[in-house]
Amino acid sequence: MRPQAGASVSRRRFLSLSAGGAAAGAAALSGCAMQVSSGVSGSGETVTVMVNSGDILPEQVQQAKKELGIKIALVKYDITKLIAMLTSGNPPDLVRGVGAVDLPYFAARDVAQDLDPYFARSDVLKLDDLDPVNDLWRFDGRTQGKGPRYGMAKDFSQDSMFWYNTSAFDKGGVDYPSELEPITYEEWLENAKRLVQRKSGQTTVFGGSFNGLTRSTLLTTMTASAGGSLFSDDFSRVDFTTPEARKALTWYIDYCKTKVGPSQIQPDPNGWDGPTYQAGRLGMSNSGYWLGGMIYPEKKLAEVSRLAPAPVFAGGERISACQGGTGLWMPRGAKNKDAAWRVFEWFFGEAPAKARASGGWGIPSLKSLRPLMPAQEEYQKRVLKVQENELKHFSVVSFTPYTRADAIDALFNQIAPAAMKGQISVDTLAGSLNSAINEQLKRGKEQVG
Amino acid sequence: MTATTATTATTAGIPVRVRVRTRRLALYTVLVSVTGLFLGPFGWLVLSGLKTQGELAASPVHWLPDTFQWHNFTDAFTQIDFLGYARNSLIIALLYAALVTLSSAFVGFGFARLDAPGKKVLFGVLLGSMMLPQMVTLLPTYLIFAKLGMVDTYWPWVLWGLASAPYLVFLFRQFFAGLPRELEEAAIVDGCGHTSIFWRIFLPQSWPVLSASFIIAFTWTWGDYIAPQLLLSTDRTTLAVAVMTAYVNEGGTPVPELQAAASVMYVVPILLIFLVAQRGFVAGMSTSGLK
Repeated sequence: MRPQAGASVSRRRFLSLSAGGAAAGAAALSGCAMQVSSGVSGSGETVTVMVNSGDILPEQVQQAKKELGIKIALVKYDITKLIAMLTSGNPPDLVRGVGAVDLPYFAARDVAQDLDPYFARSDVLKLDDLDPVNDLWRFDGRTQGKGPRYGMAKDFSQDSMFWYNTSAFDKGGVDYPSELEPITYEEWLENAKRLVQRKSGQTTVFGGSFNGLTRSTLLTTMTASAGGSLFSDDFSRVDFTTPEARKALTWYIDYCKTKVGPSQIQPDPNGWDGPTYQAGRLGMSNSGYWLGGMIYPEKKLAEVSRLAPAPVFAGGERISACQGGTGLWMPRGAKNKDAAWRVFEWFFGEAPAKARASGGWGIPSLKSLRPLMPAQEEYQKRVLKVQENELKHFSVVSFTPYTRADAIDALFNQIAPAAMKGQISVDTLAGSLNSAINEQLKRGKEQVG
Repeated sequence: MTATTATTATTAGIPVRVRVRTRRLALYTVLVSVTGLFLGPFGWLVLSGLKTQGELAASPVHWLPDTFQWHNFTDAFTQIDFLGYARNSLIIALLYAALVTLSSAFVGFGFARLDAPGKKVLFGVLLGSMMLPQMVTLLPTYLIFAKLGMVDTYWPWVLWGLASAPYLVFLFRQFFAGLPRELEEAAIVDGCGHTSIFWRIFLPQSWPVLSASFIIAFTWTWGDYIAPQLLLSTDRTTLAVAVMTAYVNEGGTPVPELQAAASVMYVVPILLIFLVAQRGFVAGMSTSGLK
């Protein structure tokens, strides 16, 4: 303890200092806060866009200011913040969303703007140029894929396809999967079992990963591939006990049980397939075309990497859905809709869309941009051929509007590990999932009305 | 005397010097192990910042990089406006830490030295509010600041600072309660009011707690992710948010080696502040009865 500490300050001096400080503070804070150097300033319209880092780059913000005369204010995507902004009546003008799962949720709650009138008068985004994947952003009040358009995909992949490393197949003495004809899910799992490498009880090379974008979209599309539907006709219930859903669930639990790839009971420390595949520690990766964006810059890796069609169930339908279709939608309460639409057109049809198309990180959502997809190298041509063939089998697999995919995943992640560890049967799991998820869907339906 | 010395010099046939050395060796072994345990994650972070992405994903683990990737640090510094975000963090942290330290000292003084009906209940409510998880108040907080037009400004941190913080109030209250009553009585005899007593007598005595409080508040704000993420836009946000979200490739997936390098640079200011002010911090914690 210090017995004396500096000169005392009189009350008058304290008050005058406080007043001075408050005035200086108010002056400093009144204009808001300090900006980092985005390189954009000045007057003009401002459009607030809620996206993830990397969706719109700082140089593109500058480009928009120059080309459109519109300042883009970026807000980091965060579901809590989005709900707070929507609740406060001050939503962003454009919001990132995953078409496959977010659109029905927001459209059913009447917070998304019907963009049909904007599309009808657009010279940039013509309806006949839109790839069918953009139907993920349509919702008629009950079913996804029909009705008005509420948004658009920035690019997409068919997310049940998989990449494989030919070196791993050579080493395991396994035949390469066909690039044009799908293998069955059973064959995929058999291959994974032969490719996996273990040392002292640790998995050093995963045979393959197959987890979809989310567990809910994975099981929805796999059930569709088995010829059924996970949801009831009005999307208010799930049923994992139907033969098709049970087939999908059984396969996924087998995949987890055999520990041939990352799962909840054997997580990949890298968190996603990219770095593991890059390090040669993954024989097959359930990722669509977009993973090429990471593979192509490494020529050695690109030369041993191939893309294969989405597997099918023996005797089942060949379905190759998109589980993402990430893009933008416009909240109904957006303050600056016309300027937001101009940014929308620019983002999906002009310079940023062209840059994305040539990067290999996804298939462009406009058919006219497909010639920009990378095809200079032999391996890129090969991948493109597989992808073009797969597009013929694209279809929209509708998702429920009554809850979010991550909410279903949270329940699945609580209940399913017991089955993955063999503590409960698949039938018990199916029953538990039905109870928990249907309860959630019931609450969601009550909210939507 | 000789017999006593002989007894203390050896116990059970082991000379005292050997016993002392053995004990010290054991103590140092434990201390070094615990230090290693605590420093381990930070060392791992530094090493991660010096590896390639392939080395980070390798199995078995690559403990040391083949070539130290020092450029990860420069890349992490240049890929985002690191200094700009650091400046934002610094402004918010300094603003909040200074204000909340003063306001908490003021409130702590009231609880320690003044009497009023319901004081104990109020203090209980104040302490009880520490139990309220931040997530619960997140949406209402946003809505209040949105109504006041304070979203995307630093005003929320000013208001939070002026509102004092329960933990810091507790810290000051404990410290002030331990000061002798005579100091206060002598000041009253000399004609001082309560504000003067606080300002002239108590506050100058409380430098250790002031510095502890400042460091704690600064660290909270420097490390806070949730509030800036909720209230500030991407180009006005703090370094904590930028480090967690801005290092991604064209596909939007994280670049872990840059994130690790940026995280090392992100914790350096906190380490420096603690090293400079640790004596005051430790004294503050011990003199407030919270050690």
